[in-house]
Order: sequence, then C-alpha cells, then structure tokens
Amino acid sequence: MTPPLTSRNWAGKTAAGLVLGLALAVGVSGLLAALLGVRDSFFSPQGQFTMWIIAPVWCAVLSLCFLFRSGLRAWLWLGLAAAAVWLTLFALGSLS
Amino acid sequence: MKVRTDILRMYKEIHGWVGIVSGLALFIAFFAGAVTMFEEPIQRWASPPTSLSAPVPLERAPELVEAVLAAHPEAARSYDVHLETGPENPARVTWSQGSRRDPQVFLAALAPDGTLEVERQAASPVAQFIDMLHQQVGLPFAHEVAMPIMGAISLLYFIALASGVIVLLPSLVSDFFAVRVGKNAKRMWLDVHNVLGIVSLPFHVIMALTAVVFAFHDEFYDLQGAAFMDRGAPRAQMAPPAPPPPRAQGPELLTPAELAQRIESQAPGFTLRAITYHTGREGEPQARISGYDPRFGLRGPTFGMVEADPVTGALTDTTYMPGLQDAWGATITSFFALHFGSFGGAPIRWSYFLLGLAGAMLFYTGNLLWVESRRKRERKAGAVTQTRATRALGALTVGVPLGCVAGISVTLAAAKPLGTEATAGIHSAIYYVVFAGFVAWALVRGAARGAIELVPAAALALLTIPLASLAFLDLHPWSQPLVDAVSVALAASLALTARATRRRTRNGPRDSVWSHPRREAQANTTTHATAPERKPAI
Repeated sequence: MTPPLTSRNWAGKTAAGLVLGLALAVGVSGLLAALLGVRDSFFSPQGQFTMWIIAPVWCAVLSLCFLFRSGLRAWLWLGLAAAAVWLTLFALGSLS
Repeated sequence: MKVRTDILRMYKEIHGWVGIVSGLALFIAFFAGAVTMFEEPIQRWASPPTSLSAPVPLERAPELVEAVLAAHPEAARSYDVHLETGPENPARVTWSQGSRRDPQVFLAALAPDGTLEVERQAASPVAQFIDMLHQQVGLPFAHEVAMPIMGAISLLYFIALASGVIVLLPSLVSDFFAVRVGKNAKRMWLDVHNVLGIVSLPFHVIMALTAVVFAFHDEFYDLQGAAFMDRGAPRAQMAPPAPPPPRAQGPELLTPAELAQRIESQAPGFTLRAITYHTGREGEPQARISGYDPRFGLRGPTFGMVEADPVTGALTDTTYMPGLQDAWGATITSFFALHFGSFGGAPIRWSYFLLGLAGAMLFYTGNLLWVESRRKRERKAGAVTQTRATRALGALTVGVPLGCVAGISVTLAAAKPLGTEATAGIHSAIYYVVFAGFVAWALVRGAARGAIELVPAAALALLTIPLASLAFLDLHPWSQPLVDAVSVALAASLALTARATRRRTRNGPRDSVWSHPRREAQANTTTHATAPERKPAI
C-alpha cells in the first residue's frame, strides 16, 4: 500500500514543475520547430506557433506535478523526460 | 467520476492556496479587462473636444499631407492618414515623435482659409491607463517589474483552474445546475463559484494560457533563440529604417482615397481605419493599413493590419490581414483574438464584458469561501476568535475589489473636468488614492463594517461617471450613452448588494468575519458591542 498523496511536500514538486516543466516545454517547442522546419521563431507565424506551444506544456506540467509522490521523484521523472527531449533535439542536429 | 480521495484532498488544498495568493490580483485584471472591452466608447466619452477645424474630406488629404511635410519635414518618416475620425481622433492626418512607449502625437488640420493647424494629441489617456491596470494586474510598478509578477499570477491562475476542475469532477453532474440558496450561505457561495467556474472554463483556460505568453514571450523567444533558432535577425531588422528620399525624387504615390479604393477591391468587406505611410529598409515607400472585418478574428484589440505598396496599391504582406491570412497566420491571430474578444463584433464584446465580470465574481467568491473555510477550521482547532490573518484577508477581500471598482470609476469620471490637462500620471494618481483609501478603510473597520460602508461608497463612485457627463455637458457634448448606462447598471447592482450585506452582517453567524450584529439586539448578551467578532457562535 503506497502512502497517500499530500500537498505538504509541495515545494520540491513545484520547483521541479517550474524548472523542468519549462525545460521540457522549450524542448517540445524545439521538436515542433524541427518538424515544421522553421529556424526563426519571431517573424514567421510557424515560428510564433512553436513559441505559443511552450505555455500549455509548461502549465500542464506545473498543474500535474503534484501527482508525483515526492519532490525527488518529480525531479527524477521530469528530468528524464526533459533529457529525452533535449537528447532527441541534439540527435536531430537542431541545437545551435 | 471517481477520483482517489487523497488526490482530491491534495488538489483541494492546492486550489485554496493558489487561489488566495492570486485571487485579488486576478479580480483587478478581470474587472479592468472587462472595462477595456469598451475602450473605444470610453475614449470617445472621455476625450475633450478639439479646437482644430473639422477634418478635411479624404479627397483633400494630399493637400494636408503636403502642408504638414512642408512645415514639419520630420513627419515624413512616418505619418497616418485616418479614414475614420471622431472625438477620440479628430484629425485627418497625424504623426508621432519620441519613443514607442511614450509617443508625442501631433494632429494636423486645415483651417477654412487653407492654412495648416497643428495640435498636440488631445485624446484622453484614461482608456490606456485602464488597459495598463489590466495588463499589470493593478500593480503600480514599471512594466518590466510588473510583467513577471503578472506571469507568475497567470501560472497560479492556471493551476487554480486545473485543480478546481479535478476537485469538482466527482460531483460535477449532481452539482452542476444546483445553486442551493438557503440557510447555508457557504453552500450557496460554493455552488455559485462552481457554476461560474465550469460554465466559463474555456474562457478562463484561454485567458490563463495567453496571459502566460503575454508575460513571458520575450523570455520564451530568447530561450528558443539560444537553443535552436537562428539568432541575430530580429534585432537587426528592428533597426530604424533609412531616412526617406526627398519626396520629389521618390515615386508618385497613390492618394489615400485611391489606395483605399484599391485595398477595398482586393479585400471586400474589410473596413479601412487608417493608413500609415512609412519607409522600408531600402528607403522604399510602404503603407501599413489598419482596419477591421467582423467576419474574422483580428490580431489587434480592435483592428487587423495589412502591408501594401503605396505606389501600386498591391497587398505585400497579408500575415495579419483578416480573411486573407494563411492557416498559420490565422491560427496565431486566433490566440490574440480570443484574448481580446476582437472577433464577431458587438455581441462578442458584450459576451466578453459579461464573462470578464463573471470572472471577477469567480475570484471574489473564491476568496469568500477561503475566509469562511478558515473560520470553520480554526473553530475546530479550538480558537473562538478569528485570527489576525483571517481578519486581514476578509478585509482585503472587501477593500481590494471595491477599491478597484471605485478607483476606475472616479479616474474615468475625472477625464471630463481634467479635459486637455489629463495625463496618464494624473489618472494613475487618482486611481491609486481612491484604491488605497478603500483598502485602508476596510483594514481599519474590518470586513463586516467595511463592507456596509464601502459597497454604497463604490456605488456612488460609479455614479460620478454619469454625473460628470451631466456636469460638463456644455464643454463635452454628450455622445456615449452606453458608458453612462453601464455605470448606472453597475451602481444599481452594488446597491442591491449593499442591502444583502447589511442583512448578512446582522443575521449571519456571529463568529464570522462578516458579522456585525445590531447593537440593540446585542445589548443584553454582551458587553463587547464594539468587538462582535470576539463572541463565539453557539
């Protein structure tokens, strides 16, 4: 039987959601940019779209990160997810 | 729908805390945002009449432009020809100098004898001040300081929405249409809070996500640029354009009337509002046209844009042109249009106004519930009096929203007596004096007595708007009955609230922060007539 979830350990989970959630969201926007083949986010509407994607991904992670049982687990899993995304970007040769 | 009880309890606590931290700022953002839905009528209402001659007909615009460029060659860099004129924009031709944040706008007209008249912009800055209040969730800080705080509040707002939906999931169907009005005031407020939240959820999700982008887009672009986008281009392209070649050597431009006709033939249904003549990076003449088409979403709060060649009249960039954008441009535009309510014309403006007020009510009821829950929890823990924190929060829940309503009302009304003397600084000072006064009064008097006194005060503040209309009738011709009518309607609803508040403070639970029983009813039960909060309920 796993211990019940609680909001008492919110600080570690929130920090993971804020920092790694943003890293994950920017990484996802990079994958989308690679998929669309845009190299400029400011002047093309496709590029702006990749920027807009950051907000919903970040907000979703930040809202759901409380479902991790502890701050440590949040940092671990979100860290793995962010690493996977950024390694993919690296493998695709997208990073400048 | 079944959700594990520990998850429910956890998200209920998270909902409460993110809500109480962000609720009051969000109230200000939503009330001010609802008011900005009527930015244009408010500007027309507030702008003093000009001493300029009546605008020349569009056909004579070239003559006026010629006169302006002869007397003020600096205007050649960029000037506007307005196809629509009115109290907020009384001139056919305008140009601006100074920075983009603090532009000085000059209006030009031709006197009946054909001489040039020039005047500093006289349009009222009050609508822009209210918009600033909305964007900065009421914070009186510099833009660069206020925006990250607004962004943090938007993130909390999204968490509040997500957690609120999760908490509501198990009882969604049974509670949805139930608003239980009765003895249990907290149950009634909770039902109202839930109904407002669920019915306007899509609106709130859009507002939260777009607000996060509006707060952090610079940082997002910088992060993307540092990681995987080509850098350098944006800043270089923003360099000031080359000075225009002397007019005589430049190509012959179409007259504004001819250009407007060519645009209209390429985009039927698009109503032109203004043409900005400026120069491109190679010194070539360009025209940016702003206008609207109620059939499509608009990129700006009240207008869409298109670039055209002022020599041939051909459209050169339709990224933000309503109806002529590609799918990507239309998608990006929809994000802005959904935040601004700049689609579908007047019915959508009114819907957004009501949704904005409903949003403000959502945060207000949320705060009420938090204060009530704290009271119950503290009672269970053995406390018979309200803690200082709960009393202060109760007082702020009364003072901040009413102070915001009253401050906006008084500073708007002040536009009439201020006339051409009005500046954004004066409007800001008036707002914050009224706002701070209401908050201080609520803190000193407590939530219950404060509410009895401040609700009628806020209603009176709203009535200063139609009073200002009447008092300055000879200086400002009356043109915008909408502004006065909405103020009176809001004042009337506050008057109804005042009655309910008085009843609640007398008959509600005595240990509530809202309790302030009538003295005579109390005389035989307590000697603490001035400190009723100290009496526990039985």
